[in-house]
Amino acid sequence: MFKLSLPDGPFAIEIASILIGVAVFSTLLAYISMLIYRLKGYVGQKRADNTIPLVDNLLLEKVLLHPQINTEIPKVEMVELAKSFDIKELNPGWAKHLLIARLVNYRKNVRGNIGNAIRSLFIQLELDSVCLKMLRSRKWYKKAKALYILVEMEIVIPDVTLLPLTNSHNHHLRSAARLAYIKLSKNDPFKFFDVVTEPLLQWDQVELFRVITSSENFSMPNFARWITYSSNKSVVSFCLKLVVHYMQLEAVPAVIRLLDNKDHFLRANAINALGKMDVDEVADQLLHMYHNQPIICQTEILKALGRFRNQQAKEFLKREFLHSNDFNLRKHAARSLINILSKEDVLIKELMNNATKESLMILKHCMDPLIKF
Amino acid sequence: MIQEISHITEHIVFIYGCTLLCIYTLLAYMALQGVRKFKRRNDYMDYDKVLGSELLPGISVVAPAFNEGLSIISNVRSLLTLNYPKFEVVIVNDGSTDNTLEQLIVEFEMQEVDFAYDEQIVTQPVKRIFKSRKAVYGNLIVVDKVNGKSKADASNAGINASTYNYFLCTDVDCLLDRNTLIQLIKPFLEEEEKKIKEVGEPCPECGYVHVIEDNVRVIASGATLRLGNSCEVEEGVITRMRPPRQLLPRFQEMEYIRAYVLGKMGWSAMNAVPNVSGGLGLFDREIAVKAGGYDAKSFAEDMDIITRMCAYMIENKMKYAIRYIPVTLCWTEGPATLKVFGRQRTRWGRGLAEIMSIHGRLIFRPKYRKLGMIVMPYNLFFEFLAPIIETLGVFYYIYLILSGSVNWPYAVLLLVFAYLFSVMISSLAVLWDQITFRYYKTWKEVVGLCLMAFLEPLIYHPLIVFFALKGYFNFATGKKHSWGNMQRQGFGKKKPAMAVTK
Repeated sequence: MFKLSLPDGPFAIEIASILIGVAVFSTLLAYISMLIYRLKGYVGQKRADNTIPLVDNLLLEKVLLHPQINTEIPKVEMVELAKSFDIKELNPGWAKHLLIARLVNYRKNVRGNIGNAIRSLFIQLELDSVCLKMLRSRKWYKKAKALYILVEMEIVIPDVTLLPLTNSHNHHLRSAARLAYIKLSKNDPFKFFDVVTEPLLQWDQVELFRVITSSENFSMPNFARWITYSSNKSVVSFCLKLVVHYMQLEAVPAVIRLLDNKDHFLRANAINALGKMDVDEVADQLLHMYHNQPIICQTEILKALGRFRNQQAKEFLKREFLHSNDFNLRKHAARSLINILSKEDVLIKELMNNATKESLMILKHCMDPLIKF
Repeated sequence: MIQEISHITEHIVFIYGCTLLCIYTLLAYMALQGVRKFKRRNDYMDYDKVLGSELLPGISVVAPAFNEGLSIISNVRSLLTLNYPKFEVVIVNDGSTDNTLEQLIVEFEMQEVDFAYDEQIVTQPVKRIFKSRKAVYGNLIVVDKVNGKSKADASNAGINASTYNYFLCTDVDCLLDRNTLIQLIKPFLEEEEKKIKEVGEPCPECGYVHVIEDNVRVIASGATLRLGNSCEVEEGVITRMRPPRQLLPRFQEMEYIRAYVLGKMGWSAMNAVPNVSGGLGLFDREIAVKAGGYDAKSFAEDMDIITRMCAYMIENKMKYAIRYIPVTLCWTEGPATLKVFGRQRTRWGRGLAEIMSIHGRLIFRPKYRKLGMIVMPYNLFFEFLAPIIETLGVFYYIYLILSGSVNWPYAVLLLVFAYLFSVMISSLAVLWDQITFRYYKTWKEVVGLCLMAFLEPLIYHPLIVFFALKGYFNFATGKKHSWGNMQRQGFGKKKPAMAVTK
C-alpha cells in the first residue's frame, strides 16, 4: 500500500519527493556546518587560551619590564628581543594572527615609548609583511582588516597602494582606506579630499573626524581650500565641521561665500559654522536672508544670532518668538533671546508679563538650567 | 462538479505552498548574505573608538512604564549606562497606580520643570515633566501622563518630549546591550545612495534653484530580540546567555531567531522589512511624527507605524530603507504560561487583522512599490491568511479521510515534506545565528534549541494557529480586549516579582 512509484506520481508528488531530499540534505548540512563552526570556535578559543598568556608573558618579560623601556630600546636589542618570540608555539599562521591581534590590543592601550617598542617588535617579527600580504588579497574584508591593523601600528603604506582604495566600489573598504590615508600618509594626509569621487557617508565622517581630531602628528591645512573648490558636497560639509573644531578663522570668507550656495543643507551647515565661530559680522546678512530660507536654515540663523549675542537682533528675535507659526522656531528664538539678554532684562520681563500660556511655557523652558535643549 | 472544485482548490493550495517555500528559501539565502556581510564588517569594527566622535547624532531612548514599581529603578539605571556619547532617556509614567513615579522622583532626585511640551502627536494629557537636579542624571526625563490604556499612547508622549532627531523605542523591562545605540544608528549613517538633485526653475522668491536630497533615507532600524528568561544577569548586563529552560519560552526563542535572523535579515536585504519590533527599534523622529506616530488604538502598533511611515515616504516621493542587523541587542522576558502566551498571541492575531483592514488599500497598488506589491501582499497571504488556510486544510483532510479518498502514500509523503521543510528552515536560522555570534556556551544548549525545530511543527505551531484564529475572531466580532497581566519573574532571579503591562 505504501509503495511509491515516483515517476508515475502526480507532479506535486514528484516535486515533493525531490524537495524532501533537498530538505534532508540541507538540514544535515546545517547541522554539520554548525558542528564544524562550533568546533572551529572551540579550537580557536582553546588556542587563544593557550597562546595569549604565552604572548602576554613574553611581552611582559621581554618588553614591558625591559630596563630601557622608559627611554628607547636600541634597535639591536630589539632584534634580539624579537628572537625570543621565534618559538614553535608562535610559528603557525593562526598563532601569528593571534599575536598580531594581541599586539594591536596592547598598542591601542599604550602610547609613548611602550607603544613605540610594541610597534618595533611588530616590524621586527615581520608581521607587517603578513598584513601587506593581506592587503593584496582579493577579498575586501581582508584588505580592510589589514588596513585596520596597519593603522593601529602606524605602518606606512605607499600612496600608490592606498590612494586607489580610497575610491573603491566597496564602501567599507573605501572607508577603511580613507581612515588609513589620513592616519598614515606622510606627505599630505588630506590629499584624498582632492580625488574623492564618491560621497563621504555620514558614518565615514564620524570615523574620519575622530581620527583627525585625535591625531597630533600632522599640521592642519586650511580647509577653506576644499570648501571653496571641492565639487563633492560631502567633503565641503565635512570640512565645515573641521573648520569649526579647529576654529580656523582664515576659512571664514570661504564659509561666508557658502551662504549663497543653492544647497539648503550646505547653507544650513555654513550658518551653523559661522554661529559656532562667533562671526557676528554676518548677522545683518543672516537677518536679511532669513525670510527666504527653508526651516533648517531659519533654525540655524536663530541659533547663530543667539551665539553672536548680537543686541541688534533682539527685536527680530522677539518678533519671531511672538509671531512665528512654528513651535521649534519660537523655541529657538526664545533661547537666543535669553542668551543675548539676562533673565532680569526688561524685555524678558515684559515678554513674561504679556505672554500667552504657550509663550510663557517656552520662555520658562529656555530659562530653566536643568533643561539643555 | 464538487470533484472539479476540489481539484482546482488543491492546485491553488499547491501553488500557494510552493510560493511560500520559495519565499522562505529566498529569505534564507538573502539573510545569509546579510549575516556574512555584517560579520565581515564587524570583524575589525572598533565601536569604542567611534564613540569618541563628536559627530554622532543624539538619540532619545523612549521607554513607557506602567506599574513597574518592582524593577523601575534598576531598569532605568541600566538604560542610563548605555554606551553612547549623546543620548537622553525619556521614561513615560503612563498613569501608574503603584509607586513607580514616586520611586523615580526620590531615587534620581527629580524635580518638576516648566517643559515646553509640543504635542505633535495627540496623546492623553501630560500632567508633569521632571528633570533630575543631579548633573549625573542630566539626561533623564520623566513624563507623567494620564493613562492611555496602551503602550502606543505612552510612546507617543515620549516622542513628543524627546529632543533628538532619532528615538529608540523599547520597553522599560527589556535588557539592552551596552552598544545598542551605536550599532543601531550605524545603518542610518552609512546608507550609500546619497545624491543631491536640483528641482525645477529658480525660485522667484529667493532666486535659488531648489535642491532636494534624493537619497535613500533610513527611517528605522532594528536588531534581534531574544528571550532572557534563563540568562544570567548582573546589574542590568547579561553575563551568561542561555536558551530558556522551560519549553514554551524555548519555542519562542526558536521562533524569534527564525523571525529576526532569517526573516527580517532577508527582508532587510530586499529593503522590504514589514515591521520593526516594539521592544527594540530606532526611528527617524521627523518621519515618525509626520506619519502620525503610533496608533494608540492599534493592537499591532509596531507594524502599523512602520506601514504608515513607509506609505508617508512613498506618497511624498522619498526613497527610504528599513535596516536590520543580525546581532542580538535586546532581551525580553517571554510568557512562560500558556494562559499569558495565549493572550499575547491572540492580541497579535487581532492586531494583524486590524492592520489588514486599515491598510488593505495599499495591497497590489503599484504606486506603493515594494510596500504595495511585496510587503502587504505577503502579510495578507502568508501571515494573515496562513492560519485560515491551514485550518481549512485540516478540515478538508478530515473530510477526505472520512470519504475514503485519501491516497495515503502521497498524503504521508506531502506531510513529511512539509515537516522536513519546516525543520530545515528553523535549522538554517539557528546556523545563521551561530555564524553571527556563538551565543550559547555549550553544545548542550545549542542541541536543546535545535530540538525545538523538530518539535515546533507538532506542538508549538498548532498553538500559534489557534490563538491567531482566536484573535481574528475577536476582531471580527469586535470583542473587547483587556491588555491583561504579564506575570514576570525578572531577569536572572527567581523572586515572584509581578509587574503589570498593559
